[in-house]
Amino acid sequence: MHRPSKGRKKIEMKRINNMSSLLVAFSKSHSGLFKMASEMCTLCGVEMEIIVFSPTKTVFLFGHPSVQTIIDRYLKQNLPPNRYLKQNLPPSARTSQLEQRYCNTKTQELNLQLTNLLAQLEAEKKTSEELNMIRKARQESFWWDSPIENLGVEQLEKLKVMMLNLKNNSINQAEKIVMAEAANLTEVLCMCGSTWLGGIGPSV
Amino acid sequence: MTRQKVKLAFITNDSARKATYKKRKKGLMKKVNELSTLCGIDACAIIYSPYEAQPEIWPNNIGVQHVIARFKRIPEMERSKNMLNQESFIRKQVTKTNEQLKKQMKENREKEMTEVMYQCLTGKGSIENLTLPDLKDLGELVDQTLKDISRRIESLKIVSPNEAAAAAPPLPQAVVGGSSSSMVVDNVSGRDEMQRGTQTTQWFTDWMNNPSEQNLGLGPNRIWPHPFFPDC
Repeated sequence: MHRPSKGRKKIEMKRINNMSSLLVAFSKSHSGLFKMASEMCTLCGVEMEIIVFSPTKTVFLFGHPSVQTIIDRYLKQNLPPNRYLKQNLPPSARTSQLEQRYCNTKTQELNLQLTNLLAQLEAEKKTSEELNMIRKARQESFWWDSPIENLGVEQLEKLKVMMLNLKNNSINQAEKIVMAEAANLTEVLCMCGSTWLGGIGPSV
Repeated sequence: MTRQKVKLAFITNDSARKATYKKRKKGLMKKVNELSTLCGIDACAIIYSPYEAQPEIWPNNIGVQHVIARFKRIPEMERSKNMLNQESFIRKQVTKTNEQLKKQMKENREKEMTEVMYQCLTGKGSIENLTLPDLKDLGELVDQTLKDISRRIESLKIVSPNEAAAAAPPLPQAVVGGSSSSMVVDNVSGRDEMQRGTQTTQWFTDWMNNPSEQNLGLGPNRIWPHPFFPDC
């Protein structure tokens, strides 16, 4: 898959020196982390929690099924073993238990919605690149297609005239459409009118 | 690592699911580690899976307890600000993606309209196949371009008022609008109007409200008397 903007630079595994780079890195990475967690929960039906403290001391948490249940479960671990023995279910029962938990229709719906949106976004990005190419090709062919910065005064004046012409024609064209629609509407209303009156001849 | 498009749904195949879990868990733990190291922050991860009795954790029990303790020191009100479960997280993603999509669509619409404008200008395209919303958007674009042109002319005149214009290549034929040449832009879809809000072109709105308005400030190529309003 062609990803023009995703460069993979080898970063040294130690604290970032530049504070603003650090903040940017945090902001991007922590939502990526939650995304990974959310996907894992959906795909594998696991339950988990991630707690992150930002460089500005704000806390961000992701918890499935919820932040509190996982924390509670973890802290209770330190109690005698029989407390979590019921988690050692036979594999088949565990799977159906997971599927039941997963059958959270709201999440399913949202995941589907997200997938659709991402696909649409991808398509629009592709269209954008295609339009860029068309523009580039056009700008290389005719003088009046060049960016305005490249044109001289005389050329600009000529372009201005062409544009005003176009503006004129657009107004006329729009006018035509509106008139045509109004005429259609009048016709339809007349027809409806005569029908409603019990067919008492054509109106007008 | 091969990039496959995985469907965002529960993996029903047991062994595939287990394999995915192992792979992703490893990646996730690595990522938490990186985040913590690069940004110098406290973090922890706890994962309960059907494959182990004990949860998988990062960094270690002491580390996790330290982070939880730090979390608990935060007053109740502050805590819930950034607490997300799966549903709320995905919802947030949906909103964000929706915004990105709208922005991209608007950008594409502008680019598309620019191509339409230049095609009509050079007679490669006809305005006859454009819908009313298209014409409105085109009008706005033409207006904006006219502004840019005027501004540019002014700035060039300021710089060197006596400068002869750059040698211009031969003028194109005056084939503006209404031509019978083949329609190139017939794939301009009748999408929703660009949400321009207060930037609605004044002349267009004026015209729409009062088509016989004479002071539209048209250039030297005005077409009067008007075919539809011969009495104006």
